[in-house]
Amino acid sequence: MVPLSYYVALSAILFALGALGVLTRRNTIIIFMSIELMLNSANLLFVAFARSFGDVSGQIFVFFVMAVAAAEVAVGLALIVAVFRNKHTINIDEVSGLKG
Amino acid sequence: METEVIVFLILAFVAIGSAIGMIINKNAVYSALFLILNFATVAIFYLMLGAPFIAMAQVTVYAGAIMVLFLFVIMLLGAEQLKKADKGEWQKPVAILFVVVLIVEAVYLIFGGGGDLLPMINEVSEVGDPISLATKLFKEYFLPFQVTAVLLLAAMVGAIVITKQDKKS
Amino acid sequence: MVDYLAILPEIALLVLAAILLLVDIRLKEEGKDTLNWIALFGLVITFVLTILLAQPGEEEVIWGGMLRHDWMAFVFRLVFIAGAAFTVVFSRGWEAIGDRGEFYGLLVLSTLGMTLMGAAGDLVMLLLAIETASIPLYIMAGFSTKDGKSAEAGFKYLLFGAMTSAVMMYGFSLLFGFGGTTDIYALADAIAAGNVPTLPLMTSIILVLVGFGFKISMFPFHFWSPDVYEGAPTPVTGFLSTASKAAGFAVLVRVMLVAFPSVTVEWQTLLAILSAITMTVGNLVALRQTNIKRMLAYSSIGHAGYILMGVAAASSLGVISVVYYIAAYLLTNLAAFGFVAIYYKQTGSDEIEDYAGFSRRSPGLAFAMLFTFLSLGGIPPLGGFFGKLLVFSAAIQADMVWLAVVGVLNAVIALYYYLTVIKFVYLRRQEGDEVPFPVAKSQSLAIIICVLGVTFLGVIMAPMFELAQKVASSFF
Repeated sequence: MVPLSYYVALSAILFALGALGVLTRRNTIIIFMSIELMLNSANLLFVAFARSFGDVSGQIFVFFVMAVAAAEVAVGLALIVAVFRNKHTINIDEVSGLKG
Repeated sequence: METEVIVFLILAFVAIGSAIGMIINKNAVYSALFLILNFATVAIFYLMLGAPFIAMAQVTVYAGAIMVLFLFVIMLLGAEQLKKADKGEWQKPVAILFVVVLIVEAVYLIFGGGGDLLPMINEVSEVGDPISLATKLFKEYFLPFQVTAVLLLAAMVGAIVITKQDKKS
Repeated sequence: MVDYLAILPEIALLVLAAILLLVDIRLKEEGKDTLNWIALFGLVITFVLTILLAQPGEEEVIWGGMLRHDWMAFVFRLVFIAGAAFTVVFSRGWEAIGDRGEFYGLLVLSTLGMTLMGAAGDLVMLLLAIETASIPLYIMAGFSTKDGKSAEAGFKYLLFGAMTSAVMMYGFSLLFGFGGTTDIYALADAIAAGNVPTLPLMTSIILVLVGFGFKISMFPFHFWSPDVYEGAPTPVTGFLSTASKAAGFAVLVRVMLVAFPSVTVEWQTLLAILSAITMTVGNLVALRQTNIKRMLAYSSIGHAGYILMGVAAASSLGVISVVYYIAAYLLTNLAAFGFVAIYYKQTGSDEIEDYAGFSRRSPGLAFAMLFTFLSLGGIPPLGGFFGKLLVFSAAIQADMVWLAVVGVLNAVIALYYYLTVIKFVYLRRQEGDEVPFPVAKSQSLAIIICVLGVTFLGVIMAPMFELAQKVASSFF
């Protein structure tokens, strides 16, 4: 059997990589994809814990996280399209017309 | 080493590799494809963890619907690559520090302590089969399930409102 | 039966949202004004229904532990519904949002999410409630897509929101790993039974706090708020700075007090430090602002710092002070953004300098503004003063005298920039300040209600204080 700590470690690494993507990339679509990667690492952790406790609620959590992610992505991409229409760019620095 | 651990390590290698591929690739389309690969590997992890339903949902919802939406928008906007160099300045050191901390934590979990905190995954039979999942979802988690409907309605209305060009203009 | 009666406000809100979306289709362009009235009356009816039928009773645990039917949930429900109703009034006639059924529908759905946030007793429910409240807010902030600033504000808000909620979800998954349950109330026992070491537990608390901190714009997750507040349509800004923030605090209070009693001292210290930094940063930066929306944004960061003080006290008095402060803050800040909305609609400016001569154009409105800003600054005998008094005494009672001192110093700084605005309104003149200033009847009525409410909270403390005591009794 694979020890639980392996899964925890893997999800921590994936989460860290997602955070790295969010903090270093300027392309808003890639930032958004990195956020999905972070969510995914949380999901992996949930399922691993669900298995170790023998409790399905962790899997149900993942099910709901997927619904939330779908809603967030739909709205987020719509807003990206709206911003793109105004600014013709998806670079986060150029988008930030509002002073930081 | 057991076969399962070897399979895990190979898949973990693919998952981490594809995640790195996603965040360093200049072209957004390649990034999206790497992310799909990552999601697919995670789906196999779900199968190994006895969660077939979640694995299927992962493939259809994440790798299927969500990533197709991403690719669609990238193509629609013609935003495969940014004109300006795509790199952050001040965030870089912070980000790298953060990542190092988390990776040290991961290594510590695998080789060092945390052993007593995190038990081996015990052999639980059929914990994640669709029937037990559905029973729990529609009994205990009935209200949250209904709220999802509200959430998706709001998201749908919102996405339409924002992308629809104003008819008056 | 209790299950359904307890979520009656949510059901009413859902029906209202459906009515708004459907009626919008049938209405002709000229008749779109009706939507505003439907939304307003619907919210008022929901408010009354909540008071009459959805009061907490014997049974506290409903829907199998998903929700809690206690005074906390009840009082915050009223706060959110009232906030939404005032927002509807100030949205009246606002370009690109005032005549849109979708806008009111989303506002109501967001309120629904907030009422669930106040009642959630389970991490799954909490996650969905937070997202149901947030996603409509992202859209509302970016609603006037023709205005580039608004779309950007919405996008920025969504990006930070999605990021922080991803971090929060990772925190939730760790908590699930420590406790093996998603029930917030069962989590405390499970953590105590499992002997979880402090360091990993605090790590997951910090991850969860990232998500909550974003909602209440706590340092260091505050930097989105000035930009979003400035870019979003002003009525939406008012809603963001009051109801949405109150929802964040409701969740923060419940989760911290219920789920983590084993590490109370640690998170108390953490929140106390964050509270001090949050209010200092908010108030100091507010001093330099020339745009009134940005100034109010930083000032609302400062207020979040004061309220955090009450949470950090982790005592009965602390919870009382949080509830009292939020009630007073809700009315004053809604009125403050109400003035900004009304003024912008007439003059097209958000600059503080352009408020010169306002007292001559509309003495009544200017007087109400004086009242509101004095309450925000914490001058007795207004609601804001007692809110601050309670928060400070909660901090002192919890042996955090230094925090109370920081709070008092901040209150002095804050008073300075509030009075600067009043100086422009009363003492400066500008050309054309004899022209009278038309205000819609419903809007002046809303402002009168706010001003009376703030005075009431300042003069007669007892009713609100007793209600706040009941809220505190659900935790101590």
